[in-house]
Amino acid sequence: MSKVMAVFKRELGLYFRSPIAYGIAFALLFFIGVLFNAYISQANQQFPADSTYVPGLLTFLMFLVGPLLTMRLLAEERREGTLEVLMTLPMSEWHFIVGKFLAAWAYYTILLLITLVYHLILKQIGIPDDGAAFGAYLGAWLYGGAVLAVTMIWSAITEDQIVAAFLGAATVLVLYLAEIASTWVATQPGMSAASDFIREIGLQAHYGATLSRGIIRAEDIVYFILLMVGALFVTTRIVETRRWRA
Amino acid sequence: MIEVQNLTKRYGGFTAVDSISFEAHPGQVTGFLGPNGAGKTTTMRMLTGYMPPTSGKATVAGYDVFEQSMEVRKRIGYLLENVPLYRDMTPYSYLMYIAEIRGLDRRRQKVEEALDRVGMLGRANSQIRNLSKGMRQRVGIAQAILHNPDVLILDEPTIGLDPHQVLEVRDLVRELGRDHTLLFSTHILSEAEQVCDRVVIINHGHIIAQGTPAELRTELERGGRVLVRLHSPDGATQAVLDAIQAIPTVAAVEPSRDGVIATPINPEVDPRPDIARAVVQGGWDLIELRPLAVNLEEIFLELTRQSEAEETEGTASDAPDTLPEEEREEMA
Repeated sequence: MSKVMAVFKRELGLYFRSPIAYGIAFALLFFIGVLFNAYISQANQQFPADSTYVPGLLTFLMFLVGPLLTMRLLAEERREGTLEVLMTLPMSEWHFIVGKFLAAWAYYTILLLITLVYHLILKQIGIPDDGAAFGAYLGAWLYGGAVLAVTMIWSAITEDQIVAAFLGAATVLVLYLAEIASTWVATQPGMSAASDFIREIGLQAHYGATLSRGIIRAEDIVYFILLMVGALFVTTRIVETRRWRA
Repeated sequence: MIEVQNLTKRYGGFTAVDSISFEAHPGQVTGFLGPNGAGKTTTMRMLTGYMPPTSGKATVAGYDVFEQSMEVRKRIGYLLENVPLYRDMTPYSYLMYIAEIRGLDRRRQKVEEALDRVGMLGRANSQIRNLSKGMRQRVGIAQAILHNPDVLILDEPTIGLDPHQVLEVRDLVRELGRDHTLLFSTHILSEAEQVCDRVVIINHGHIIAQGTPAELRTELERGGRVLVRLHSPDGATQAVLDAIQAIPTVAAVEPSRDGVIATPINPEVDPRPDIARAVVQGGWDLIELRPLAVNLEEIFLELTRQSEAEETEGTASDAPDTLPEEEREEMA
């Protein structure tokens, strides 16, 4: 555990020393701020503002933010050769990768907590639905973790951070759009089981319809946790086999 | 203590390390000598648990490098060839990070001791990106000795340093060799001769000789060839060659750049007295008469030439284009 902590602390510190991480945070928060402003001015006149708007937006933007936050994690260590140093220390790959992942997730959590300010603004001007907001924020937190874990796989596969980011974004988009694909598949004769499967694999089926409306279901939480653990396991195996074949 | 038995590493069809066996003992510096791409780094990676061997067995401090990798890693200090470090850290924070991962206690004290030992205490808080190559090398060595390991493995510790830094690192290696089992690789022959208690010469994944530098020297001297140099303006004339060839203990002669190389009829016979007598009787001035292989460089060139000749006769299957990426880099 202390090994995970050592990796976690260094990695999280790196996010706070890296101009890129600040850039991502700035762009994300700025973008959300502008959209929130536009949304709230429109909502004010026509309909009650939705307290799940901001976390929903954040989960959508994760296809960009996730890969940018994780692309460096393993690709850089491998390119610089520092991975070989760590892999000859008495530490398992699993500890190393979990430490890195937790740092990325912690950084994302901090960004998520900053966006809570919009909920406070909503509280100032009206009576937002706190329950729905809680579910949506919890969902956005798990959703973000799952996206980070999945995009981290690409950072283990390629040494090139840009390639890792692009493939990560593509993977997350596929998972994001799975629900739309499933509705198309459902129109084909005899494909309803396949359609269900595709929908359940995707991210939106476990967020858009449930958590983002404040409906907290065990199966959705299990889905996100399984996705995280599964992706971290795959990443570990990739780092191991890379090393063995190197 | 490092014991290696029939260790082999294959990448696809390419054999990088082919059934090598050697030992390295505590309190000694063992030099791992070979040209680039000979399999030195691959062997070290197997010893440090970075990659598993294809076959064979290696133990470090009594633990199997594959079966008990974590135990081995606790007892080994490893300096990688181009010393990868985190450029955004300082030597102090980097070593603290390594110490934490290693799970050491009294970390601060150990980090300071290691930095002191490599003479980097004064730059402990500079960013690594601003350090010279020699200083980074020392930070790398500090990382390797941080936990006071039984076994130290240093991969080309003097590569890319200026002559002054090379001398410093060699002194450090010698000093560390006194209280550790130290294996270090180099492709510089004079370095191995100066620093090592034992030398293992590797080429194309095979060990072609091992022993103390003195043993290697006598082994090749017993091969028996001697160099004869004469003080004559036109070098080795046919008359000289004939005169030496006529000596009963000499099997063959050949002219060389420096003089004449004479091979005795068998390695146990020393033909030098007979040659001296023949030369003097012939009226020539003898200025040098010595066994041919006297330094490690000549031994090395001789041995690698021999092993190359054997390889071209035998199965020359190791086409360079089948080399994996990293080995190709090593050869470049």
